[in-house]
Amino acid sequence: MPSLVEFLQSIVNGVGVGLIYGLVGIGFCVIYNASGIVNFAQGVFVMLGGMVCETLLSQLGIPLIVAVVLTIPLVAISGIVMELAIVRPMMHRGATLFAIILATLAAQIMIERITLLTFGDRPRTYHEFTTGGPLKIGDVAIGYQLFWILGCGALLVLLLWLFFTRTRTGRALRACSQNREAAQLLGIPVARMMLIAFALSAALGAIAGILVTPTQYTAYNVGTPFGVNGFIAAIIGGFGRAGGALAGGLLLGVLQALAIVALGAGFKNVAALSFLLVVLLFFPNGLFAGFGKSAKAH
Amino acid sequence: MSVPASDKGNVPLLEARDISASYGQVQALKPTSLHIAEGELVTILGPNGAGKTTLMRALTRLTASKGNLFFRGEDITGLSTHRLARRGIIMVQEGRGLFPQMSVRENLVIGAFLHSAETDAQMTSVFELFPRLKERLDQLAGSLSGGEQQMLAIGRALMAKPQLLMLDEPSLGLAPRVAFEILGTLRELNRRGIGILLVEQKAPLALKLAQRVYVIALGKIVAELKTDEIKSHHDLARYYLH
Repeated sequence: MPSLVEFLQSIVNGVGVGLIYGLVGIGFCVIYNASGIVNFAQGVFVMLGGMVCETLLSQLGIPLIVAVVLTIPLVAISGIVMELAIVRPMMHRGATLFAIILATLAAQIMIERITLLTFGDRPRTYHEFTTGGPLKIGDVAIGYQLFWILGCGALLVLLLWLFFTRTRTGRALRACSQNREAAQLLGIPVARMMLIAFALSAALGAIAGILVTPTQYTAYNVGTPFGVNGFIAAIIGGFGRAGGALAGGLLLGVLQALAIVALGAGFKNVAALSFLLVVLLFFPNGLFAGFGKSAKAH
Repeated sequence: MSVPASDKGNVPLLEARDISASYGQVQALKPTSLHIAEGELVTILGPNGAGKTTLMRALTRLTASKGNLFFRGEDITGLSTHRLARRGIIMVQEGRGLFPQMSVRENLVIGAFLHSAETDAQMTSVFELFPRLKERLDQLAGSLSGGEQQMLAIGRALMAKPQLLMLDEPSLGLAPRVAFEILGTLRELNRRGIGILLVEQKAPLALKLAQRVYVIALGKIVAELKTDEIKSHHDLARYYLH
């Protein structure tokens, strides 16, 4: 039986990793809303974020902030390339969504292998953004990086909310998600919106990767677990809903952390998938599908 | 019966030459030509399944189509849907095509995507036409009544400053009084100089508004005539005026 301290510590750890899952889940939602595509290569953006940032730091010796500022657009470009090289040509040739989704899975494997051949299989990490710590509250230790993850996660959610509700491009992306034909008829360039969605989604993945790498190693193959857990987070939250994905990620992260403490590390994924099954059984459209649809019929 | 646009002297607002569209192996729209003059209100009549909606989709390139399109004499054949909107060709789809999970305000703001600097002025002019929308600004579009949804769909299209406004069955599913109100608004818009191409099941109402009529059957325009000429075509008059 875990002690109270272990219980609290696992919740703290779960919140940190859960926020990362949430960010990956939001990345899934952004692309899905703009295109109807589930981008199974979402996890590689997390991996690339960590790998590119670590490479810039270790090879060029540049300050962390510069590495971060360079990494995000570089990974965003990989998202643009994926849309231009894989998704758009397939769409133009009339490929089904299922075929395109499968192609994104193939892209994930391809990018992983290219990363393996380029960077090798050595796990990599870099120092936490703020050295020192951890902060001790009683016997519960909270690493400073968790505060970075929490702060950046909250800031990103706020910025995304502002982007989607207050900017012309953000509103246009939401319009595309609800009725692509109507959006086109109003002059919205849907193809360009998809490009923006892939870039934004990749940038979100990169930020998640940059934030999480100091707390654990990154390697060519870390994208898959992040991708799978981000996908589960998005489904739990009601696929397509950014806020739902974030909440789903937090729930999933905490649940996994508790499962590790209570049942052992081997039960981490069992707990995640069992939770997913239970959610889908009782809430087939996700836990938060009803939110934001409070129609005021009169 | 068809009168080529080139014989009319003036350059039409929109001219389609031999436009056709297929769904797989089925040719839903056979090569057909039509034109709309500046400031004209033209209606397309035809039975269900005749190809009216396909024609509208072909003209806006929502459905891939063959044939040539000219806007004020300029060849716009290769332009995609959103580029046609930039020229001022705006369509209100059958079923209204709203963004149901966005508020009335957001739908209107999105309507002004191409003219965002003029959003406030455009919105004021939309509220003059449809004051009820002002009362529903923060309500989700999907929760409006059918009539209000249609007002929003037309209002949103007006935000895009149309030169040619195309409407596919705007009175579908509306109570007669509301349908009359909506179609009356189209007459007002036409008076302001906006060209209108209208597909409408309520033919007697549409014929009261339109200056000219195309009759479509089996995927092809079979007749083009001025509205007052329809009475002299007994078969058409019997079919559409009663």
